[in-house]
Amino acid sequence: MSIRHVLAITRKEIYHILRDKMTLILVLFTPLFLLLLMAYALTVDLKDIPIAVLDYDRSQTSRAFVHQITAGQDLELYAQVDSMNEVEGLLMRGEVKAVLIIDPAFERDLYALRGLPLQIIIDGTEPESGGFAVDHIGWRAEEYINQVLTDQMQSLGIQIDNLQPIDLRVRAWYNPSLKPRNDLIPGLISMVLGFPALSVALTLAHEREHGTLEQLMATPVTRTELLLGKMIPYIIVGLINVILIPVAAILWFQIPFNGSFPLFFGLSAIFLFAVISMGVLVGVFMPTQASALALSFLVIFFPGFFLTGIFFPIASMPEMIRMESLFLPGTHYAIITRGVFLTGIGIDILWPYTVMLFVLGVSFTAVAALFFRKKLA
Amino acid sequence: MAYPDSEEVSTDIPSQPIIETHELTRDYKKTRAVDALDLSIQSGELFGLVGPDGAGKTTTLRLLAGLLNITSGSAQVAGYDLASQAEAIKPKIGYMAQEFSLYNELTVVENLGFFADLYDVPRSELSQRMDRLLAFAGLTEFQNRRADKLSGGMQKKLALASTLIHEPDILLLDEPTTGVDPVSRREFWNILTDLHLDGTTILVSTPYMDEADRCSLVGLLYAGKLVTCAEPKQIRAQVEGDLLEIKTDDWQAAHSLIESLPGVLEVQTYGESLHVLVDSADERMPEIQIAIEENGLTCRHARQAPARMEEAFISLIHRMEV
Repeated sequence: MSIRHVLAITRKEIYHILRDKMTLILVLFTPLFLLLLMAYALTVDLKDIPIAVLDYDRSQTSRAFVHQITAGQDLELYAQVDSMNEVEGLLMRGEVKAVLIIDPAFERDLYALRGLPLQIIIDGTEPESGGFAVDHIGWRAEEYINQVLTDQMQSLGIQIDNLQPIDLRVRAWYNPSLKPRNDLIPGLISMVLGFPALSVALTLAHEREHGTLEQLMATPVTRTELLLGKMIPYIIVGLINVILIPVAAILWFQIPFNGSFPLFFGLSAIFLFAVISMGVLVGVFMPTQASALALSFLVIFFPGFFLTGIFFPIASMPEMIRMESLFLPGTHYAIITRGVFLTGIGIDILWPYTVMLFVLGVSFTAVAALFFRKKLA
Repeated sequence: MAYPDSEEVSTDIPSQPIIETHELTRDYKKTRAVDALDLSIQSGELFGLVGPDGAGKTTTLRLLAGLLNITSGSAQVAGYDLASQAEAIKPKIGYMAQEFSLYNELTVVENLGFFADLYDVPRSELSQRMDRLLAFAGLTEFQNRRADKLSGGMQKKLALASTLIHEPDILLLDEPTTGVDPVSRREFWNILTDLHLDGTTILVSTPYMDEADRCSLVGLLYAGKLVTCAEPKQIRAQVEGDLLEIKTDDWQAAHSLIESLPGVLEVQTYGESLHVLVDSADERMPEIQIAIEENGLTCRHARQAPARMEEAFISLIHRMEV
């Protein structure tokens, strides 16, 4: 392998990135833009979920109960209705996400200590909001019944401050405030840093479309030299983002960074090698930029989104999908980013993932070089 | 098809041909682009490959540049076997694709430097070679201009300079002047002639017959086969019959009239004049003139003209198609 050939390709590619302003802006700022977009879109705190109440009991107790349920900022009492027909209309129009139905025997059963007869209907097409309403109504109802029972016992002369059947104390380590952003953003970072894979797939397809690849094939440059020369500039661009993105996450979103930055930088370089070699693989097989773009989304970005454990735990995926996720560099890198940002762990724990990334990178590059022929058809 | 002319050439120069193909064949999915091509080009030749669109010119050049797999047959380029030693051939050749694309974001000098790196041009010689090529291509004053800011003609000359940076023994040029203005086209051919005189072997495909006339040897490709291969003057001599140039007051009426006359092989329109190919000028010229007058047209001008490459080419093609 000739270093001169590799550097010639690399230099040419860097000129291309630097001199085409649109390319420069895209490769430098797309990851940041994606991070901001997704961080805001995906970490919306649910509040003021509209619910309706159908109160068959119409007692003072049930009215007090409804008041208690909707006193906070989580649930909003959108309407009090009188019939199931009205309930259906509200749900169908999407005006409420959940309906609380209070049994006619509510007051009687409560004071007879027979439990709280309640029914909740949720809009199953939006289980997120519906589930939220169910949880919150449940917590409020529990608070309410505890209060009622405490009052009852005190009126019977039993000394009790507050009735708490279970005293469960949860501590969330590594993310003590349980902010969803703290957990999500390192995951998102692992995803957006893979963006240069797309650029490298496109640049290969661009040369093919533009006819310059034919010219390169007529020169003595070898396949490996060509592919490595193409990868290096995008690894460099990726490393600029490895600095830019964590700085943005720390300053803007106040994400803790508990690990070592040099370690993060080094492991990120290996991740970039792996994910960019995946992009090269796509570029080798696709004849046009349009098809390279489509395939990149199909095999790099959508799996990177759904299968790497950023949003959905890998452990709960079917076995086949779990196997597939092992071949995605993002799966291993998501563990590394979360580990370094939040847990602050070091290479002693992260080494298997690092080795895996390296193996993936070498394998993808080797397959790409093997299938890349210096022939036109 | 063996022509006596091609044998004549090879006996003149007894050395081993620098490009030699034997029944070279290349199929695409449904079509045979190059069909059992036997080509023999001596070192130092300026070989023009002509033929209609789709005749297999581009495929032939791509095969010789090692860019396509051979379906059957064999070929030797610069002493190496094309099928098994394609990579060894690459440093020896300079290949310019039909739609040669330069790297637009790179300047003239950077484009040259890029190819110099890929061809391992010794660094000590690089600046000297670049200066010479820039002067040669008339690009010295534009050396720091980006490739996409050059005119079409200058881009072609830069492309040629890029394929020359490693001083290849063989140049394979696929329609290098298509889409270039006549002045640039002439300049480009002056450069090719200089290279030819320096001893570089050049295989150039072209759709322009005036360019074919400037080659030392012309091969006519038709449906993937080499139909004829000879010096330009011999090709011109192969035209059967004589060429008449006739101008009337209504060329459209005259065209259909003359076409229907006996002994007329071919009528082509050149502006308002007609080029008429006949079996014998002495016999047909008076007949045509009489027919024109009888049909109420006026013959303004009629003379016998020397056959040109263009007529030779078209008549050869027509002979193939009949």
